[in-house]
Amino acid sequence: MSKNEILGIMHSAIQKPRNAYLDEWMGEGRRVMGYYCSYVPEEIFTAAGLLPYRLRGAGSDSSADGDAYMSARICTFVRHTVSLALRGELDFLDGVVLAQNCDHIRRAADLFRKKVRPAFYGFLSIPRVPKERLFDWYLAELRRLKAEMEAHYSIAITEQNLEDAIALHNATRQRIARLYELRKREAPPITGQEALTVTVAAHVMPRAQFNSLMDHLLADLEQARGNGDYRARVIVTGGVMDEPEYLAAIENQGALSVAELVCFGQRSFGDPIGSRPGEPLERIARQRFFQVPCARMVECFDEQFSELTRRMKEYKADGIIFQRMKFCDPWAGDGHNLYWRMKEAGIPFLSLEREYQVSAAGQVKTRVQAFMEQMGK
Amino acid sequence: MSILGKERKADWEVVYEGVNGLMDLYSEDPDSKGMNAILKGFRSYVDDLFGAADEGRPIVWHNCGCTPELIKGLEGVQSMPIEVLTVLQDLVGDAQYTVALIDEAEAHGLASEVCSIDKAAVGSVLSGLYPEPTCMLYHNTPCDSQIAAIKTMRALTGKPMRMMDVPYLYGDREVEYLARQMAESIPFLEEHTGRRFNWDRFRQVCEESNRTAEYLRDWNDLRRHVPCPQVSKIVALSTALLVAFSGDPEGTAVARAFRDEARERIERSESAVEGGEIYRAVWYQDPVWWDLQFYDWMEAELKLVIPMDLFGYYAPEALIDTSTPESMLRGLARKSLRVLPMSRQFKGPIDNFIDDYLKMCDEYGADFGIFAGHVACKHGLGGIGLFREASREAGVPLLYFEFDMFDPRVTPVETIQAEIANFIEVVVKPGKELSGAAR
Repeated sequence: MSKNEILGIMHSAIQKPRNAYLDEWMGEGRRVMGYYCSYVPEEIFTAAGLLPYRLRGAGSDSSADGDAYMSARICTFVRHTVSLALRGELDFLDGVVLAQNCDHIRRAADLFRKKVRPAFYGFLSIPRVPKERLFDWYLAELRRLKAEMEAHYSIAITEQNLEDAIALHNATRQRIARLYELRKREAPPITGQEALTVTVAAHVMPRAQFNSLMDHLLADLEQARGNGDYRARVIVTGGVMDEPEYLAAIENQGALSVAELVCFGQRSFGDPIGSRPGEPLERIARQRFFQVPCARMVECFDEQFSELTRRMKEYKADGIIFQRMKFCDPWAGDGHNLYWRMKEAGIPFLSLEREYQVSAAGQVKTRVQAFMEQMGK
Repeated sequence: MSILGKERKADWEVVYEGVNGLMDLYSEDPDSKGMNAILKGFRSYVDDLFGAADEGRPIVWHNCGCTPELIKGLEGVQSMPIEVLTVLQDLVGDAQYTVALIDEAEAHGLASEVCSIDKAAVGSVLSGLYPEPTCMLYHNTPCDSQIAAIKTMRALTGKPMRMMDVPYLYGDREVEYLARQMAESIPFLEEHTGRRFNWDRFRQVCEESNRTAEYLRDWNDLRRHVPCPQVSKIVALSTALLVAFSGDPEGTAVARAFRDEARERIERSESAVEGGEIYRAVWYQDPVWWDLQFYDWMEAELKLVIPMDLFGYYAPEALIDTSTPESMLRGLARKSLRVLPMSRQFKGPIDNFIDDYLKMCDEYGADFGIFAGHVACKHGLGGIGLFREASREAGVPLLYFEFDMFDPRVTPVETIQAEIANFIEVVVKPGKELSGAAR
């Protein structure tokens, strides 16, 4: 299969809550588990025989149902996902596992529990400081979740199940890493819009099939000549971002996104989980808890900053575009701090505020054009 | 006006002048025992803070989700809540100073949706208004906005910071988790302040905290009385008391004055509302800090009294068992999670938030509830639909509006007044008349 065919499949898979792969999975009588955030490890669901399905607002043409329960001060990403759930468009889920990722999602969790009432409702209390001193709490939370899932679904999640899940998800991580490696080329064979389509698709498709599609895609991309027709290379960072069209609006101005350190982008995958030390659940927990931290985490801003500057060098980026969903407080603090640290380091930095499902192409165009001029591109 | 014999930045002098002016106004009024006590407490706090700065004693910053008992366990260390200047400006100074600090933080790049008190705190740091901390000890509560501000302050000051993680749900496991983090924070405090943590001193602090708690518990009970014996605005001050004065004899004095004033006025059959109260409402979410006279207006014009609000509500379980170091830490953790207003209601499931509200409406005999939605309180606003449904099911009329509790520019006072007056006229009054007729 060619790059365009595979990207077409993945593009179709992320347009609406359901896709053909998901339908096929469910058609075989298999279950699906919804979750919001990468601090909820997918491997546990895979080990339990459920397909991990990351909640998104794609396909929601209105947030009205969510608006009836949440103020307009709640971010549009959350209100759209809640709207889908309240309208029954996520009824195919056999359960959800939510967490207090942020104040908005915490309240979305209340709505899932009290109004959507999924067959299984799990909740993780995830520490906000990714330090060794709090790791045992996080691990205990995962153990509790595993036990609750075993009881609810009348299954046993064995160590071998977990090892198999690690292997499957590591295979995805390796493929995503290879994809990102190709983006370091002078003429990357894939745009940011396309790469985000791929990483989003990974979150809503059965992993084995995704990995198989990735093999074809990578084989094609490795031989491709790539596209060096851009004015600047940028890294896109910030919070939730599952809309490739938004990146298209940026890239249409000649700013090629060479890496997306966002939720649904590279940050959600991380490095492969090692084969030791420790039992599999602990290794899963360690990989997730100590992932490149997102803005909900505290006492780790230097690590976030270092990751960004390291990637700047690796991907030969000219600047950073930071995007934040309007009303997102965690990223409001980090947005401020990143701006000043980048300024101090002499790294061009553009901050964009956005709403879910609104491309605001005109505004993005003007801001990105000005940014390019600022970078001398 | 100088503070402790020295000229300070205008923002602080305005506060100090305001406190002294109000004390002159209220000191002769026998019915203002509570107000006098808290004003005295504020002045004493400012004296202590600048005293520590002048003497070069260590100052530890903390946030409103975190009462200062642990910090007070170190001899000679001054605690400072990061919200202190904003609260004082709005209560006894000039809210325009707060507005200027909010603008300063936004101009520096902090998003406008961050809470105004947090923006003003960042503005205070940017303006060099706060005495330098040796370190900072925070709780990740009540909200994400506060966390954003804390991270910003860490970046601006470069000072050592430690965050205690307040988890979701507040069972015994969560209490143990927080208690353990408190124990682990002690070496951090010792290292950065250069002072030893003294368990005997900590015991005394906890005992003082308990005395304050007992008075507040009694005071909460007394405010159930019909007619409500004390003015509405005093309930908004309770959280400021806890955050600044927990474990401090000044806090106990304020709480005792609140209690005594309520008790004496009940004995004299006095009502907070001149001419008699007609309506009672529980004020939920956030007070109108920038205009506490607003509460006087409600009493005078609408004959409406607020016997209790979210900030004044003091849940049981506040008493700290002082028998061992472990029991003290556990008790303090329990207080932080299950008692402290905002932490109690804002970090767990919506049920805690709604249940407390309905309990308050019942216990305080409210005719209706006022959900004053501070625009930055996303954890509150994100639950408004469920909150409304629960109110409807319980048969408690609910008025909901959005405003900013520290920035008067968002919703003018006249708009809030009109909302409340209209709601009483259209919903509460007819309802009361109907139920009166039915009886």
